[in-house]
Amino acid sequence: MLQPSLELYGESFEKVDALLDDLLAKSHAQYVLIVDLKGFVIAHNKALWAPKPPSLDSLATLIASNYSANLAIAKLFGETGFKEMIQQGDRVGMYVEELDETALLVTLFDTTAALGRVKMFTKKAVTEIQTILSENKGEAPTMNFDENWHNSTRALIDGLFGPSK
Amino acid sequence: MSTINFSAREINFKIVYYGCGMSGKTTNLKKIYESIPGTAKGELVSLATEDERTLFFDFLPLDLGQVNGFKTRFHLYTVPGQVFYNSSRKLILRGVDGIVFVADSAPNRLRANAESLRNLRDNLTEYGLSMDEIPYVVQVNKRDLPDALPSDMIKKVLDPSGKTQFFDAVAAKYIGVTEPLKAVSQLVLEHLAQKA
Ligand SMILES: Nc1nc2c(ncn2[C@@H]2O[C@H](COP(=O)(O)OP(=O)(O)O)[C@@H](O)[C@H]2O)c(=O)[nH]1
Ligand SMILES: [Mg+2]
Repeated sequence: MLQPSLELYGESFEKVDALLDDLLAKSHAQYVLIVDLKGFVIAHNKALWAPKPPSLDSLATLIASNYSANLAIAKLFGETGFKEMIQQGDRVGMYVEELDETALLVTLFDTTAALGRVKMFTKKAVTEIQTILSENKGEAPTMNFDENWHNSTRALIDGLFGPSK
Repeated sequence: MSTINFSAREINFKIVYYGCGMSGKTTNLKKIYESIPGTAKGELVSLATEDERTLFFDFLPLDLGQVNGFKTRFHLYTVPGQVFYNSSRKLILRGVDGIVFVADSAPNRLRANAESLRNLRDNLTEYGLSMDEIPYVVQVNKRDLPDALPSDMIKKVLDPSGKTQFFDAVAAKYIGVTEPLKAVSQLVLEHLAQKA
């Protein structure tokens, strides 16, 4: 099966995207991300005033791995997980909330944001996103893996790694 | 298992380099990173100890390009090979789409290769997966060692049924590095098309 990571497409994506913008505005955070636990970025938004973020791929894979490692630590002690996932540096902080079993909502903020607000609005956004995800989203889009698709991918693989000998 | 993101129009695949400690998994990623043109690759992330042993994983994202309007991307990971890092290895296998098993040709590593393969099988089982369902190839690395075991012998131990594609390699010299990656990428894409 194709796994549409977090069933997010069409109208529900638009709604979540708007929610992320709202979260940025209200919390004064710099970046918000939805990260798949496999380490992929599902959605991301940036405050207009924030500088260019570091590599989102690196960020997503490290956040997902960090989360998984912490969960594994909690389980060693018979816990189902740790409640608060906050990292704070001198200039930048990160707050992580679970969206469901497959994805996380991540808020990154600098010293201009108050942690209390970040937490409150992130938690609120989680509830709202969960509601959107539970709504009927209609038919999932499909992909067509036709002859053309096969030929194109083969050509791209050759292009990247050199043609087969 | 592959993750399709309809809103960002991306298909993402996760390919994991597996194998015993010191077989050359990290070397594969480093060489790919050095050789692939700048626009097609992202940053190489290594979570390693001071003496360059992989502690958690190495990570390298590759952009294949656009197919039918979808950006197709491969995320390459290595696992830490040492036996005691199994909890980390298990975490990295989450959502794996394809595996390159890196075997070491050194005579004293034959057993470690076989044990690592068994460990891979066990860890996949915990995710409800079996080796038969996951695109999988083997790279027989360090063919340059003067006392390298014959490839056929390693092959017999790791794949008695002869169903798997094997590639000889000297990863440190970027020989036999792209071939297994190409093969597994191709298998992963075919696998996706079959399952869709
Ligand atoms: N002789 C030889 N050494 C290699 C080759 N590939 C990697 N190595 C060396 O093997 C050691 C372990 O490699 P590394 O990639 O860190 O192994 P990993 O534990 O599987 O990640 C390093 O010293 C590498 O330079 C090879 O093809 N031939
Ligand atoms: Mg390594």
